[in-house]
Amino acid sequence: MNLGTRKLFDRAFTALGFGSIAIMGMMLIIVLAPIVSKGVSAIVFRSTVEHRKMLYSEFHRGNRVSLEKEIAASDAARRPVYEMLSEFEAELGLMDEDKQQEYKAKLDQVRTAIKALLGPLPGESEPALTRFKYGQNRWEKAEEKLKELVYEKQWDYSNPDIAAKEYFVSRATAFEGTSLVRLFPYVEKNIDKMLLPEWTFYWGFITDSSVDSHIFGGIWPEIQGTFFLALGAMLFAFPLGVIAAIYFTEYAREGFITSLLRSANSTLAGVPSIVFGLFGLAFFINTLKVSESKSVLAGSLTLAIMILPTIIRAAEEAILSVPKTYREASLGLGSTKWNTIVTVILPAALPGILTGGVISLGRAAGETAPIIFTAAVSVGSAIGLADVFSSPTPALSWNIYNLASEHEAAAEIRHVQYGMVFALISIVLMLNLSAIVLRARISKKLKG
Amino acid sequence: MIMSGEELSSQGRSSAFVVSARQRKWQKISKTAGESTLLLIASFVAIIVFFIFFFVTRDAVPYFQIRGFKEFFTSTNWYPADDPPGFGALAIIYGSLMVTVGSALIAIPMGITAAICLSDVIPFSVRQYVKPVIEMLAAIPSVAFGFFALVILAPLLQNFGGTILMWTWWVIVSPFLLLAIIVASELLSAKVSDEKKRKRLHTFLSVVLGIIALGLLFFVGNKLQRIEILTGTNALNVSIILSFMALPTIVSVSEDALQAVGRDLREGSYALGATRAETIVKTILPAASSGILAAVILGIMRALGETMVVWMASGNSSHIPSPWFNYLESVRTLTATIAGDMGEADQVTGSARFHVLFAMGLLLLVISFICNFISERIIVRQRKVLSGQ
Repeated sequence: MNLGTRKLFDRAFTALGFGSIAIMGMMLIIVLAPIVSKGVSAIVFRSTVEHRKMLYSEFHRGNRVSLEKEIAASDAARRPVYEMLSEFEAELGLMDEDKQQEYKAKLDQVRTAIKALLGPLPGESEPALTRFKYGQNRWEKAEEKLKELVYEKQWDYSNPDIAAKEYFVSRATAFEGTSLVRLFPYVEKNIDKMLLPEWTFYWGFITDSSVDSHIFGGIWPEIQGTFFLALGAMLFAFPLGVIAAIYFTEYAREGFITSLLRSANSTLAGVPSIVFGLFGLAFFINTLKVSESKSVLAGSLTLAIMILPTIIRAAEEAILSVPKTYREASLGLGSTKWNTIVTVILPAALPGILTGGVISLGRAAGETAPIIFTAAVSVGSAIGLADVFSSPTPALSWNIYNLASEHEAAAEIRHVQYGMVFALISIVLMLNLSAIVLRARISKKLKG
Repeated sequence: MIMSGEELSSQGRSSAFVVSARQRKWQKISKTAGESTLLLIASFVAIIVFFIFFFVTRDAVPYFQIRGFKEFFTSTNWYPADDPPGFGALAIIYGSLMVTVGSALIAIPMGITAAICLSDVIPFSVRQYVKPVIEMLAAIPSVAFGFFALVILAPLLQNFGGTILMWTWWVIVSPFLLLAIIVASELLSAKVSDEKKRKRLHTFLSVVLGIIALGLLFFVGNKLQRIEILTGTNALNVSIILSFMALPTIVSVSEDALQAVGRDLREGSYALGATRAETIVKTILPAASSGILAAVILGIMRALGETMVVWMASGNSSHIPSPWFNYLESVRTLTATIAGDMGEADQVTGSARFHVLFAMGLLLLVISFICNFISERIIVRQRKVLSGQ
């Protein structure tokens, strides 16, 4: 090959490497960007008067006087809607049978759409489920519901070769010639007066418990459960891991037992997370019976054995990176081996050990599969510290799955799901970031 | 008198200069006791590994006692709730295999090139910022990836699948084709000795090959664009996300392997006049190949053992896609089946339905154990070879 081609190959190779790194960076951005942007909108959003009503009656927060003023203003704007509805009902009574049938179904659709938008109609009995007591809490959701009220979604099956396409028909055309036709332009024009949107910073999303399985309210029980599980796992795994690392680095003599233990460590690191869940169920719950059924304790123990290898490896590395001179100086001063370890080596290695601990804490907080069978429940309130031995807890990781895949109104509460993912990712990444910073400072310090 | 460090230190603490026999004995005992306590705690890990194998096997054995081996590995009828039930896991095992292979196909080339780039191409100052990016990718919880796959990627694939496939094809293949054209025309025209003729032939070949390549790009791109993806929760979606998750492992372990090759091999190659690409491809990669293989095995293991992403985004339909390589169909994997079916099976603890999930867990456990063992051996051997033992 001539020199030009070789050079070209070299350039192309470099470009390929940079390309793959760039793709990895892009992956991170592609995954994080929507989660962060939509996750923030779970906390900062345009709330409607319905949201403030909900806050006042469910959490007793808000200014009563101004809220009453707002309710009065919004009711005044809503009154014509309800009047138009009852006017049309009266008109319906005068029509002949066929027309009545035809309009009745359509009227029911309109009523449902209005209820979804503004909450229960006046004169109706109080709904049993909290989710039906209030109209749309969030302005962007209200706009969606408004579209559902004004336009009817229909499917186009005309082309049998492709999947059916949806298209929208204005509902007003269906009520042409009746008194209800005025309702649609009125609602469209006055929707902001009916719902009074304003920008809100809803800090309660972090600190409130959920109302009616996450339709309203916040995610505090999940955050607390995640902390309990992760900290519990650390409580078991951290001391064990550090002591094991001390043994491996300071006392172990190369031989069969040591290599066996090391193999066991890497085997444990490679066990699939779902198998930890199975093991936790079979061992901690069904055999040891640490609790009657799922509990925070069982979940923490399961998570602890999962993060143990990571902690051991990090602690080993940290202890090995302590300069030899430290050790020799201490021994030279006449200290015993154990004394050297406790007073000289461990303090010097502590930041490194903590880095590993922090990363493992993040892993324990984010892991889902081991806690499915051992600790997690879908709905529940925050548990007290005394209940950790007996009761299961909701946790961020599990509830993200549950809300996104199994919740009956999963599409309605996307903002809660995004908020939860955002909360989980920020907890985990914050821990990792602090570990990265910590490590950078250590390496600077050890270099001198 | 020569004294060991141990004796010196004990004297340093006690005021007496001479250690009595009793004191000495006591010291010895406490030292042995302390060390054995440490050993006991350190061997805790081994005990746990043993327990995991024992307890998972203990709950898996009853299934094979009740139903035997044949159905589990040969049938595709997975109807655990029916009467009579079907426990054929072949389609599920195949689904696991499929998403693992799919993610490996994406993650391995990218991971290895990224590792090469990290260890040999980019300057140290840039590397400091790239490594945290990889660590963050590794730190993102699997359920967050699953959520991304289910809520963002799946609708995208379903609605704009063909277009996405076409653009991916264009972006990935066109640089390679361009390179191939340049090299091919160079090589084919190299034999002509007359300089003028050679240049003319070179231009001619480039143009012809370029037209052929463009035609190929358009033809395949058009075909891809016409593909309609019926469901976004399919094996392709899962493979893409799993490759994201396997990448950090592959990159960091193979980067370690590349670093372990050492400077002397690199410098020797450069001294012989090789370019950087030639040095990497002909010298460093062969030397580091076993370490990279270990990295690949570990990365694949992550994809095989991953639960949440496949549970949320694979569609969970237990059948072998037709044709067998159709990545646009839903699949079901071992991990997702364990996670998804345990909720119902748990109420009937003791039935085959409960124990079959442990049988699946055992299968995963055994595969991961074997892979781990192999990769560990490989790493140990490479370390020995490179250190010249």
